[in-house]
Amino acid sequence: MRRLKQAWELARDFREGVEDPVEHLYNVFEAINRWEARVNAYISLESPDLLVEEVERISRSIRVGERIGKLAGLLVSVKDNICTSFLPTTAGSRMLDPYTPPYNATVVERLLEEDAMVVGKTNLDEFAMGSTTELSAFGPTRNPWDLERVPGGSSGGSAASLAYGGSDLSLGSDTGGSARLPAAYTATVGLKPTYGLVSRYGLIPYGNSLEQISPMARSVRDVALLLDVIGGWDPLDATSLRVDRPRTFTVSKADPRKVTMCVVKELSEGAEEVIEKAYWRILKKLESEGVELRDEKLPVASKALPAYYTIAFAEAASNLARYDGIFYPTKGGGSSWEEEVELARMKGFGREVKKRILMGVYALSEGYRDEYYIAATKVRRVVRDEVLRMTRSCIIASQASPILPPRLGERLDDPLKLYAMDVYTVIANLAGVPALVQTIEFHNGLPIGVQWIGKPLGEGELVSLGLLVEELTGLAGVVAG
Amino acid sequence: MRVVIGLEIHVQMSEAGSKLFCDCKADYRGFNVNANVCPVCLGLPGALPVVSEKSLELALATSLALKCEVPKFIVFTRKHYFYPDLPKNYQISMFERAGGVPICRNGVISFLDPSTWEWKTCRVRRINIEEDPGRTVYEEGGITGSPYALVDYNRSGVPLLEIVTEPDIETPRDARLLVEYLLLMLEYLGVTNPRLEGVFRVDANVSVGGGERVEVKNIGSTLDVEKALNYEILRQTKIREAGGVIERETRHWDAVRGVTRPLRHKEYEEEYLYFPDPDLPPIAITEEMVEKALRIAEKADLQVLLGELLKLNVPPEHAWSLLSTKPSLELFRKTVSLGGDPQLTARILAVDYKGELREQGRDPYDPSSWPPLETVLELVKLTLSGVYPYDTIKGLVIPALASNPQARLETVLPEKAGDIEVAVEEVIREEVKAVKDYLQGRTQALNYLVGRVIKKIGRKAVDPRVIREALEKRIKSVRSA
Repeated sequence: MRRLKQAWELARDFREGVEDPVEHLYNVFEAINRWEARVNAYISLESPDLLVEEVERISRSIRVGERIGKLAGLLVSVKDNICTSFLPTTAGSRMLDPYTPPYNATVVERLLEEDAMVVGKTNLDEFAMGSTTELSAFGPTRNPWDLERVPGGSSGGSAASLAYGGSDLSLGSDTGGSARLPAAYTATVGLKPTYGLVSRYGLIPYGNSLEQISPMARSVRDVALLLDVIGGWDPLDATSLRVDRPRTFTVSKADPRKVTMCVVKELSEGAEEVIEKAYWRILKKLESEGVELRDEKLPVASKALPAYYTIAFAEAASNLARYDGIFYPTKGGGSSWEEEVELARMKGFGREVKKRILMGVYALSEGYRDEYYIAATKVRRVVRDEVLRMTRSCIIASQASPILPPRLGERLDDPLKLYAMDVYTVIANLAGVPALVQTIEFHNGLPIGVQWIGKPLGEGELVSLGLLVEELTGLAGVVAG
Repeated sequence: MRVVIGLEIHVQMSEAGSKLFCDCKADYRGFNVNANVCPVCLGLPGALPVVSEKSLELALATSLALKCEVPKFIVFTRKHYFYPDLPKNYQISMFERAGGVPICRNGVISFLDPSTWEWKTCRVRRINIEEDPGRTVYEEGGITGSPYALVDYNRSGVPLLEIVTEPDIETPRDARLLVEYLLLMLEYLGVTNPRLEGVFRVDANVSVGGGERVEVKNIGSTLDVEKALNYEILRQTKIREAGGVIERETRHWDAVRGVTRPLRHKEYEEEYLYFPDPDLPPIAITEEMVEKALRIAEKADLQVLLGELLKLNVPPEHAWSLLSTKPSLELFRKTVSLGGDPQLTARILAVDYKGELREQGRDPYDPSSWPPLETVLELVKLTLSGVYPYDTIKGLVIPALASNPQARLETVLPEKAGDIEVAVEEVIREEVKAVKDYLQGRTQALNYLVGRVIKKIGRKAVDPRVIREALEKRIKSVRSA
């Protein structure tokens, strides 16, 4: 285990001339060279020459005292389901290999406005459908903490790039835990924002009503830094909230005596023993610092997972209808339009994607819609109401994952086991509230995470609590190796 | 046998400025192929729809003009079907039975039969706002024989109103009158320009003698509404009379051959996988929006406009003519407000000038085909002054203006009678030989004399017939003397 300077410290030191961004870039290149062949965090990497050119421009600006952006000199990796006009965007699918969008996602525009350098596009389960990053058309990503294990998914590439020092900050996406589960498995931090706080314009959709582009980093403060840059109203996204840019970077560590935590029974049970023990250890520690722990129940939690998957699959089936062999690179070679569509979809989509499309179609079909899709939206409403009620007066404590990072292949055989990895994380997506996952300890070299769920637009409080926890664990900025 | 007709009218909101969900143009005509497109209307992954305020305002004004129940909020749904010109393979519409909420429910349209001056009514079931697909162009051989198809997406995403009536219409003629009147309303509301190519399409449901209803699709003109229905009613009547049974089906109107053809049997409801579009949260219809739309609707109330005309003692047929040619009504109202005689103004504009435009093959709906207000006002005053007989105004001045509406009135006015007489007198004095020739029976000599008179009068507009008459009269009096 090594420890790196946090990104916000780096950015500060670049600005103050204490650190050289050019030298930093070469350090990151070195990490990528050392690790990437084994880890496979990236689907595509920016040309080193271009990055060198860019960092020299920034370095010059700093020397002559020109105004520079908040992220100047930092290297950000971007999940490959977020559109970039300067790098291919595949969503981890053969269907979009190679596809370069004609536009940048709003979040990417905002990164560039702050002088961030996009170092590459990170690997993911195809169209973000998965929890292990094994289901990518570009091969699996491995966990830098243990190369036999998965980094979690679907933002596994983003998490892995952070975990070996191949980026300073990363953008993931989180539909049902896709940024938080990888954070828990790689000793990084993932924050799923309030639904609508971050623009989805340019995020290749999987479950539109659930997902948010999510900042990932090696520390809580860094996640806040990135959130402040990408968050806030975007007129191009009708689901984006009419709120100003968030200001979470400057919040201070929580005063434990002012924190109330709801320990929800259903979200605290059911994990492996080592995880459960670690979970209670951190809660007790917080309590001893003065945090008030309150027991709560969320009986609807058992229905959350099926409701989540039903909604996500239905939306996915719809979103993925557009890939028909006309605009996108994978062609069917059929002799009629119908045949073309069939063959293109047969060739372009992987098994898991096909499975989810079929289940989504089923859930929306005449005669089944009420039983599945409509029923799921009702569960969602109950979950939302309950979570909103609770988070008015407390932050919800929850496990992040029921298991330690599994070995490659271990979870793939049984889809139900695979889906169950998201059991604790889907709640926040169904309710549209923010949730932060951070590491609390290591067990045999593998990280164990915890999750905090807040009220709508309560990112600041989560960051504040996260800083407190980070101080107790001392795990900010750790990397593998 | 009793005939029952219901209509489904799709009208493009061609005057809405932008497409429904992006900034591309609502009127796509005149663009190069695939030049009026962007990531949103091409349905590129990650691009998101945002409803155009103008489209919403116009749809709401239409809904109020048709006395609909306006909902507290509207909800868009997705309708899925694979088709090459539908880039997302779903269309954004408002399907009620899957959570959609249309902009209008339970309205009514009162429409005029201008030949009997009878008002008729038909209930409006609902109005949906939806997006138009692109356009598929088949090469030689058409849809069945062409080896390939080309798709132009310039139309993709153009805002459409889908106006569905109850089956309250009893004759094909009434169906045509309803559509004509509706289009006129929409023109006055500023929603559409009914004369643009392909701007509206009508599907008609018709049942004869209580039999199953048959849907006739793809009717592209108001005249064809009547023709298609007449054909279909005749077809169904013949089958019934021969003892046959009408089956529920969808037929296609072939405008070239003037027949309807079977399209497909509706044995089952197609599977469209409807569900609320997660990218478009419900949009509240606020009181402010209703107020604003109401002001638009009130200004465009055709019954009120007609009433105003009748109150000015404009004959009904002239009133209808003015109303149905919007630029002429606008000119009329301005002229009258500045003191122009209403009846005379109506006659000049609605009958003679409009007739002359038709005669000359000019477009009466194009405001530039009409003279400026000052010219009309002057013309009306001049006519009333009796300086010229109305025949001269109608036969000479109006045609000259119609061919050059920007001409100043004095340049197209004929010489007054007195000036002609003076010239005739002089010519007879000067051209003794020609007069003698004419008196001796050489009739062509008169043409020569007419030419001389015209030349003497100069370049001013003058009617040769008037000169000929004056010459003949004068020569006759010379002879008898």
